[in-house]
Amino acid sequence: MKSADDSLSDSCSSAPRDGRNQLRVILWSMVWAVSFVVVTLSAKRAWWPFGPTLAAALGTSLFGIATLLAHRRFLRETDELRRKIEIEALSLAFGVGVVGGMTYWLLTVMGAVPAMDFFYVLLVMLLAHPVGVWIGRRRYS
Amino acid sequence: MKNRLKVLRAERDWTQADLAQRLDVSRQTVNAIETGKYDPSLPLAFRISRVFGTPIETIFDSEDGADVKNVSEP
Repeated sequence: MKSADDSLSDSCSSAPRDGRNQLRVILWSMVWAVSFVVVTLSAKRAWWPFGPTLAAALGTSLFGIATLLAHRRFLRETDELRRKIEIEALSLAFGVGVVGGMTYWLLTVMGAVPAMDFFYVLLVMLLAHPVGVWIGRRRYS
Repeated sequence: MKNRLKVLRAERDWTQADLAQRLDVSRQTVNAIETGKYDPSLPLAFRISRVFGTPIETIFDSEDGADVKNVSEP
């Protein structure tokens, strides 16, 4: 029997198809994020007139949809364990966002903490997702 | 769920990567199945059965030991 095949050093190796799909997700996410930042700054600092800013905001939404479609494609075409890990990570991110956000909102109503922008809930969810993927990969390695 | 994946793979002198390629899954998936951390879906179990040319029930074994009763139709 060939040696070293049982080592976990390459526990996250992926097929070329997965790599391509992940690259698509990353690229569309970056385009979306950059577009979001530019449009937000433009809106706040009035770089452009209202019409072009509105069009740019709609364009940003299209980039977001492209990101979602790329992620859906990745989930559909990846192998089933990776899909399970991804879904568990998304569940964690959603749970952390909803539970954390609602708890903070309750504390805000009670006056215990200052009001927070909803953007920070999304930020927590975005950070929770890779943590969930890392936990899943560790769990099934 | 117990399985004989590692034994069957060893008999054929395949690495986990070889088997992963034949099954069109990642090596991590093969490893997780072998170590009992992950139970494959039914389609993947059938693919494993086809790759090894042996029935599913000779590869996988439910640990509860319960046999399915033959119930005659009324």
